Amino acid sequence: MTDELLVVRAQLGERGALAELVRAWHGPVWTYARRMLDAQRADDVAQEIWLAVVRGLPRLREPGRFAPWLFTIARRAVTDRLREEYGRAEASREGEPVMDDPAEAAVDRAGLVAALSGLPVVEREVLVLFYLEDLSVEDCAEICRVPPGTVKSRLSRARRLLRDRLAEEEPRL
Amino acid sequence: MNDDERRMPAEEMIGRLTPVLSPRVRVRAVTALLSGLAGAAFVATLWASEPGPLPGRTRVAFGLFIVLGLAWACYGGWLITRRAPLFARDRVIAAWLAVAASGATTALMAAVAVQRGTGLGAALAGGSGFVALALVLAVRARARHRHLLRQRDRLSRERG
Repeated sequence: MTDELLVVRAQLGERGALAELVRAWHGPVWTYARRMLDAQRADDVAQEIWLAVVRGLPRLREPGRFAPWLFTIARRAVTDRLREEYGRAEASREGEPVMDDPAEAAVDRAGLVAALSGLPVVEREVLVLFYLEDLSVEDCAEICRVPPGTVKSRLSRARRLLRDRLAEEEPRL
Repeated sequence: MNDDERRMPAEEMIGRLTPVLSPRVRVRAVTALLSGLAGAAFVATLWASEPGPLPGRTRVAFGLFIVLGLAWACYGGWLITRRAPLFARDRVIAAWLAVAASGATTALMAAVAVQRGTGLGAALAGGSGFVALALVLAVRARARHRHLLRQRDRLSRERG
C-alpha cells in the first residue's frame, strides 16, 4: 500500500493504517535520530517524533508529501534535543563525536557510521537525509529550511569531510 | 550488536502511542469541552436572568460555577490539541455532539428565561451563537471527511 493511501486512511481515523505507517517509517526515523544522537536518546527522540506525528497528522494537507513532513518534525525534535544539551554542556562539545560510550564506539568504528558520527551536525544531517533516507535535494531543502543550493554545498562539504575522516581512519584499521 | 538490533521495535513504539490513540481519552476530551461550555453558559444565563440583586455569596457561587465550567472546557480543549488528536471521523462525531449539546443548552436557557420572564433575548442570542458555531464546525468536519474518503477511494482504485 502506498504511503499516501496509508496517510489518508490514518487521517480518517483507521488505527490499523496508522500502525502500518509506524511500521513502515519507524526504521528510517530511528536511523535518522540515531545518526544525529546516541542510541538511548534516539529511542526517546523517536518516541517524541511519533507523538508529534500523531498529533499533527489530522492537519497534514498533502498526504503525498508525508516523508518531508515527517523528517521536518524529526529534525525539529533532534534540534531541540541538541540545543537543550548544548545549552547544558556549553559549546565545548561542538564538533566532537556524538557517541561517547567507548564500547559502543569501538563496535561501530570499523564502518562508515563512526566517521559519520564525527561530522558536524549540519553536514551529518544532510548526509543522513540525502544518502540514508534517500530524500531528494528539494525535500532535504524543505526539511532543513534552506535553499537547494545550500543543501548541495553542504553535501559537497560533508562528502569531503567524510572522505578525509575515512582516510584518517584507514591506517589505523 | 549493530544499530538495527539495538533499535526499539516498531511494535513497541506502537504500544507507546496507544494512550494517545485511546478512544476513551477522546470521548473524555469532547465530553469535558462540551459539558464545561454548556454548564458555564447555563449558569451565566441563570445569573443574568435573576430578577433582583443577588447577595454577595450567591454571586461568588455563580462565579465559581462559571469558572469551574470554563476550566473543564479548557481541560477538554487541551486534551484535544495536545494529547488525543481528533481524526476526521472523530471530528464529525464531535461536531454533531456539539450541535446537539448547544441546541439542548439553548432550549434550557430559553425555558429558564421564559419561566422568569426576563433575559429571553440574551439567552436566544447567546445560544444561537453557539449553535451556529457548532454547525459551521460540523459542516467543515463533514466536508473534510468526504474529501478524505474520495481521496482514499481514488488512491485505492489507482492501486488496482
